[in-house]
Amino acid sequence: MSGAVERARIVVGGAQPRLLQAGPPEAREAVVFVHGNPGSADDWEALIAATGGVGRRALALDLPDFGETIAPPGFEHTPLGHAEFLGQALEALGVERVHLVLHDFGGAIGLTWTALHVDALAGVTLIDTGVLPGYRWHRLARIWRTPGLGELFQAMTTRRAFRWAVSRNEPRGLPRAFVERMYDQYDRRTRRAVLKLYRATPDPGAGGREFAALIAPRDIPALVIWGEHDPYLPAAFAPRQREPFPSADVHVLPASGHWPYVDSAETVERLLVDFLSRLPAPADALERQ
Amino acid sequence: MNETGHGNGIITDSLDYDAVVVGASLGGCATALLLGRAGARVALVEKQPDPRAFKRVCSHFIQASAVPTIERLGLLDEIMAAGGLRSRVRIWTQWGWVEPPPDRAAYAVNLRRELLDPLVREAAAATPGVELLLGRAAQRLERRGDAVSGVVVQDRDGEETLLRGRLVVGADGRDSRIAELAGVATKTLPHGRFTYGAYYEGPPPASAPASTIWFLDPQWAAAFPTDDDLVFYGAMPTKDRLPEFKRDAEAALVSYMADLPEAPPIAAARRVSPVIGKLEMPNRVRVPVAPGLALVGDAALATDPLFGVGCGWALQSGEWLADSVAPALRGKEPLERALARYRRRHARRLRGHAFFIHDYATGRRFNPTERILFAAATRDAKLATDLEAFATRRVGPARSFAKAVPRAIAVHARQAVARRRGDTRPAGNRVAGVRG
Repeated sequence: MSGAVERARIVVGGAQPRLLQAGPPEAREAVVFVHGNPGSADDWEALIAATGGVGRRALALDLPDFGETIAPPGFEHTPLGHAEFLGQALEALGVERVHLVLHDFGGAIGLTWTALHVDALAGVTLIDTGVLPGYRWHRLARIWRTPGLGELFQAMTTRRAFRWAVSRNEPRGLPRAFVERMYDQYDRRTRRAVLKLYRATPDPGAGGREFAALIAPRDIPALVIWGEHDPYLPAAFAPRQREPFPSADVHVLPASGHWPYVDSAETVERLLVDFLSRLPAPADALERQ
Repeated sequence: MNETGHGNGIITDSLDYDAVVVGASLGGCATALLLGRAGARVALVEKQPDPRAFKRVCSHFIQASAVPTIERLGLLDEIMAAGGLRSRVRIWTQWGWVEPPPDRAAYAVNLRRELLDPLVREAAAATPGVELLLGRAAQRLERRGDAVSGVVVQDRDGEETLLRGRLVVGADGRDSRIAELAGVATKTLPHGRFTYGAYYEGPPPASAPASTIWFLDPQWAAAFPTDDDLVFYGAMPTKDRLPEFKRDAEAALVSYMADLPEAPPIAAARRVSPVIGKLEMPNRVRVPVAPGLALVGDAALATDPLFGVGCGWALQSGEWLADSVAPALRGKEPLERALARYRRRHARRLRGHAFFIHDYATGRRFNPTERILFAAATRDAKLATDLEAFATRRVGPARSFAKAVPRAIAVHARQAVARRRGDTRPAGNRVAGVRG
């Protein structure tokens, strides 16, 4: 079962982010997908359709300077800046309760949003992301974080080099169309945003303990999916997500890399849809009944 | 029969045989049956008192290499009548399926050990010359000079009996007591994985009755359809996955299998056996002979269960031993010469396989040669057939690799040329990968 995915632009804080949405558009509870880097709302199209297909409102945005969204003047490319932007967008969309689906850097952004809106979180799905205690940035991030070297590296990232870099450690490769689209969206704005975002995040593991202390007592329903061969964020962090989410259902996919929703798409869709179906129906859906 | 003593742990009886086989599981029974058939008088001693006892931690898969032995033992018809399945193997790799055409595939035998073990034991016990002695545990060895010449066994009441034999056979498994008593040196090699598995009833995997093995590099899983429409699902992850299984073994097993690529329908099936697990599976290698003594099955070579060779090699090594020593037990040649022949045969047939099995048992990922071979075998039926002959232990590594490596290189070269010419055929399990 799948729902039709609508594409639209909304107005948030001086920007017009691109929105992909499916399911009941007026629902006040939504499954909100947050992409990583590189990435865009397009990453989530199939999962948004599947989530909409089971009667839940599902939506994703291009974050500022990613995909087709141009950041407003003065926008701060920090996890907090993006989290506040996400919060404003959800407010504009009338979303009051959220089930977050996070991938890669979307994890830092989504969990920062969570810390600011603990009561609004109905559940979370972490895909190759989450709290990362003791994590040291991967090599590519360390290059991006180095002034001068990062700019040089971004300037040298040709289509061919990009294709090679993102695919070389993926156990089953990645579809060409997916990689090409990622590169098409990896324009100068995005490259600059990436440098700022990573440079604003010196310690990706920071705050994990405090976050766990804040969130763990609530025992929020959580699904964790991690590609065992993720070359950037090691799968050893998958069970660590039980620190903030003690009842998390953890799945480490043995033939998957950094993008499980691409190389194990059917498995990820099944796990997400099963997980959502086990959660209580959205409160406004009950009201509608 | 000579009476040599009475009670209180003192030997009360001594019995004379041509061979005393300790352990009435697959290897011991095959040895006893074939020696009995060759005219020898054999004591077949088993620690368990129940004639229907069976090995519990086992996937029950009998490699195609052992099917001729099963036929020679006269057991194939009985096994099939008991519900046994003939099953070929399909192997999932990240590059695609390694699957020889069914008409060129080798077929293993699948029958649960709770049916197989009593059936084999009954056949051995029914063989003229074989005396099955249940509920007796080996206590110590009797020696004449350097040579082992008998075994003292103790029954459940503490009565000891000396079983004298020109040959003593240790068929008592991975932790062989006989090997220990004889002082046979054991080489132990590490194992980087653990295993959990159980029998399920319900919808079968799409490929049943074929068995399916997932090489997830480095994780591993298998689905073995078997008798009574059951399927044995087995997981063999690396040890870093152990905490998940320790939390809830069944939930972890189901989730592990259900998350596999092209997953079998375990979530829709019902478990009908306990979830069995083994956390430590070190490989044990022993020299399979000593003066007056031979070892068969796991007592001689206990390798990684991942490759499903244990049952088959137990039967085959029993056959090789019986064939090697039968003339000597009839007095036609010195026993030492016969044992040396068995040792050579055992090494020739298994040493090469064991080397590669032990290397992979560390829990490592594929090495470059394996990657080249598997990737090519997903695209070339002949290579898949050759690799399967190796994996089912019908061909040794030297012969297999001499053929397979050049062919694999040729397959990759052909593919590279085709890609340059713009041929964009789909590439197996690759997700239409940019590397194809």
